[in-house]
Amino acid sequence: MPAGRPRSLRAQIAASRKALRAATEPPAPQAPREPRRPRGRRTARTQAETQQAPLDRLRGWFHEKGWTPYPFQEEAWAAHARGESGLIHVPTGAGKTYAAYLGPLAEVAEQGQPGLQLLYVTPLRAVSRDVEKALREPLDVLDADIAVESRTGDTSSSVRQRQRERLPQVLITTPESLCVLLTHERAAELFASLRSVIVDEWHELLGSKRGSQLELALARLRKFAPGLRTWALSATLANLEEAARHAVGTHQTPTVVSASLERPVAVETLLPESVDAFPWAGHLGFSMLARVATWLDAERSTLIFTNTRSQAERWFEGLRFARPEWEHLIALHHGSIDREERERVEGGLKEGSLRIVVCTSSLDLGVDFGPVERVVQVGSPKGIGRTMQRAGRSAHRPGATCHILFVPTHALELVEMAAAKDALLRREVEARAPPRKPLDVLAQHLVTCALGGGFTPDALRDEVRTAAAFSSLTDEEFAWTLSLVREGSPTLRAYPEFRRVVEHEGRCVVADARVARMHRLNIGTITSDAVVQLRYWSGGRLGSVEESYVSRLKPGDTFIFAGKKLEFSRIQDMTAYVRPAKTKVTQTPRWGGSRLPLSSSLAAAVRRTLDAARQGDVTSDELAAAWPVLDAQARLSRIPAADILLAETCQTRDGHHLFLYPFEGRLVHEGLAALLALRLTRLRKATFTLSVNDYGLELLTPAPFPFDAVLQPSLFTRERLEADVLESVNVGELSKRQFRDIARIAGLVLPGLPGARKSSRQVQASASLLHDVFLKYDPDNLLLVQARREVLEQQFEEGRLERTLERLQAAPLELLHVRRPTPLGFPLVVERISASLSSESLLERVERMKERWTREDARSA
Amino acid sequence: MDSRRCQVRVADTALELLPERALYWPETETLAVADLHWGKTESFQQHGIPLPTGVLEDDLARLSAALTSTGARRLLLLGDLIHSREGITPALVERLARWREAHAHVACVLVRGNHDRHLKTLPESWRLEVRETHADEGPFRFAHHPEPAPGRYVWAGHLHPMVRLGGRGDTLRLPCFHVGPGVGVLPAFSAFTGGANVSRRAGDRIFAIASPAVVEV
Repeated sequence: MPAGRPRSLRAQIAASRKALRAATEPPAPQAPREPRRPRGRRTARTQAETQQAPLDRLRGWFHEKGWTPYPFQEEAWAAHARGESGLIHVPTGAGKTYAAYLGPLAEVAEQGQPGLQLLYVTPLRAVSRDVEKALREPLDVLDADIAVESRTGDTSSSVRQRQRERLPQVLITTPESLCVLLTHERAAELFASLRSVIVDEWHELLGSKRGSQLELALARLRKFAPGLRTWALSATLANLEEAARHAVGTHQTPTVVSASLERPVAVETLLPESVDAFPWAGHLGFSMLARVATWLDAERSTLIFTNTRSQAERWFEGLRFARPEWEHLIALHHGSIDREERERVEGGLKEGSLRIVVCTSSLDLGVDFGPVERVVQVGSPKGIGRTMQRAGRSAHRPGATCHILFVPTHALELVEMAAAKDALLRREVEARAPPRKPLDVLAQHLVTCALGGGFTPDALRDEVRTAAAFSSLTDEEFAWTLSLVREGSPTLRAYPEFRRVVEHEGRCVVADARVARMHRLNIGTITSDAVVQLRYWSGGRLGSVEESYVSRLKPGDTFIFAGKKLEFSRIQDMTAYVRPAKTKVTQTPRWGGSRLPLSSSLAAAVRRTLDAARQGDVTSDELAAAWPVLDAQARLSRIPAADILLAETCQTRDGHHLFLYPFEGRLVHEGLAALLALRLTRLRKATFTLSVNDYGLELLTPAPFPFDAVLQPSLFTRERLEADVLESVNVGELSKRQFRDIARIAGLVLPGLPGARKSSRQVQASASLLHDVFLKYDPDNLLLVQARREVLEQQFEEGRLERTLERLQAAPLELLHVRRPTPLGFPLVVERISASLSSESLLERVERMKERWTREDARSA
Repeated sequence: MDSRRCQVRVADTALELLPERALYWPETETLAVADLHWGKTESFQQHGIPLPTGVLEDDLARLSAALTSTGARRLLLLGDLIHSREGITPALVERLARWREAHAHVACVLVRGNHDRHLKTLPESWRLEVRETHADEGPFRFAHHPEPAPGRYVWAGHLHPMVRLGGRGDTLRLPCFHVGPGVGVLPAFSAFTGGANVSRRAGDRIFAIASPAVVEV
């Protein structure tokens, strides 16, 4: 509240709120123990110090620290006091936490009411402790007894128990833990006193189902506490207005508070001494590692970002080998490493005892690592927003220049880096598109609401529609989702045994304790695949890896994890047991979902950069360094132009290849490849093996195929696009893969958690098996429909696919026959790992595979 | 002779591998199947997991087809007939009793599997003769667990064997018969089952169910 506001009005509001609560709810039971909240003292204090309002005291605290509030901070405080909701958009390190927090905090101090007043939602539970510290810091000057606590998946059960009785005034939590709180029978009561919600790193949540889950939770909170204000914090996005609307819901107009405080980003690229004309992923890695090891300086604290966890493992291992003297100064940090170890690393980084940390996106977010001076990006950053975010981890001070060093791991990444530099200068930041009404998330939310005091369908449907992600939800979709959790689905009506949500005195509730327990375990599953704990035989936890990885290991296989060489022994009760490896290590774990596609902004910049190179413009250092590759490409074929589609055909031992280079990112290429394969097989029967990367796609077929004749603009038509994509998706495995997440979120697959496994073994089934069962016996199931839609929307970035087709249909085709795969085609050959599509019958395929096996056997014998 | 089937000689005895996921022994007119997992869908439904029904009907139709086309007079059920106790709902018991009635002339023998231990007594109306661990007949031992037995060739289930075919991105995963030197494992009969990939050892023969036929790979 602003300083000048008359006391009497505040008192009136307080009184009316109190009256409202008293009228609408049963009295809150007294907690057995009230930690740190002696009641009487507060009142005495406020009476003695009425001259200075809390916000003024907080301004004083700012000055004590040598800071002056920025105009955007004052603006945010004032907007909050006016009762508005919105989005605060300023770059990392500019002080947006306090911009969002001090306004509500001042109000909490002024009102001095018990019960939850302010909720701070952060996407990363690992940072909650730092947030807690930052939020406690200004409390001293307020001299108020305000309890600030965290509640995340890591919170001990005794603290949770206490919080169930009474929540602190300020609670820091994650979207998942918030949803677990919403399953509390007295949820309405617990949240009735809430005044404000702050959502940190909204740009991270917005584009994912975690964002949709949070949108629904916020809609629920607004119901419990009318007048609730929501403030989201976001880094730069192309779609800020949309981001703001999704944060505050459809019933209010968001206020967007921005500050043009972008910090200058200084980018440098570590140029390789020489490049091979035939690059493939990771090829440059080792020589570059030695150069980075020399470049690093233990005096200057450095974060080394990699794009995947396995890459982080390899770089950590390599750097330790190259600089053994840094044994105690260097560490590894990624999402699968045990929490305690991660905290040790974060602590070491902050106090300066660790100087070099190899990490993944696990350190993209979160609070200040003050001493970090430099940031290294290994491999392509894949996006502009991401580059800015990572660069912003260095010199985490308003106004200071951020430094980032790009390290290419293969020669073509030099082109991406040149393009990224260019796009950074132009500030071409990406948009993050929120998912549209994901019904799996809604199904989960319905069970959450049924547990949290129950609901009436009509009221809940209206409430759900106030979440922007669900604003277009139809009555039928709501009814169907409700029937999914109440009757199973329309086909299940005859089965009285099915009960998840039941009707009791007109309200939908959960009656079965087992369903309740399973649901709470399941809530956290939006974020993660089934994971297994990794432990030593002798005891001692190492962290967690995805089940899909462990299931491929055989006893005796060796791998590197958390920088340790391990030998796999066995898996039991969702725990993988390992012992230190004695033999040579053969592999690094591959974690799913770790490959990021090239963003649309960066993809466009890459096309621009290559086009310039085609014209002979090789002025940037990066392009000059990549010249041997580009030159070989120019000699064997052509360097792709921005507005011409380059296609190459080629015949090798593997068969007949077609390479296309649209430069649109791997997801778009995945969709495009499946689409083209389908359309080509309609023209002529064939089996294609598909391979894609960020630059292009390959179609390979064992028999000759008249690519020259069939490559016509009509192949790229947008007519019947959706039907064709769906048809190719049905044949491929994509929607099955997508269904895996949907099944987990909607509660079809029980959480693979230790302990939960034993009791639920009889009802474990893989999502792909469930997918097949649904496809056969309930093909109209809306979750299947959703899987298809998600494949279209997310997997293929449908809008992007359509725009790509438009571009390709209009583009002149440059079709060249090449003797062998070109520098651009070679990585596709090396990485051939993709889905298959066939119009041949199953038996024919089996016969052909047999033949191939026989031939290979004969050769090897 | 049906060309979709595969003829094999095991322990000097002619046998047929059926694409219906069943083994037929013509000499004794015996059909053997493993891992039917009756009531699996129902178990899921009781845990609040909304699965569509239909698997059981398809499975029963396939079993009936195998019985009819072979003219078998005896049916050996090699364990894991039921999935869990709670899946055995009154409606399910009734449905299976009707199916049993339709094949009343076929003698049914159940060799218990690990899942079957959940149910001490099976419904009377299913008219099953129960063996606790195995049934020895001729040169064969029929069991649930694929453990070698000296002097006999063992036919078992339990593992739900699957074979992975192809490579270079063009792969298929199919249920299969895994016929080893001393032990043969049948594919899981129920369509609602996952499986484990087999690893081929010397002397093993693998027959994939590339429906509609059985193909040795």
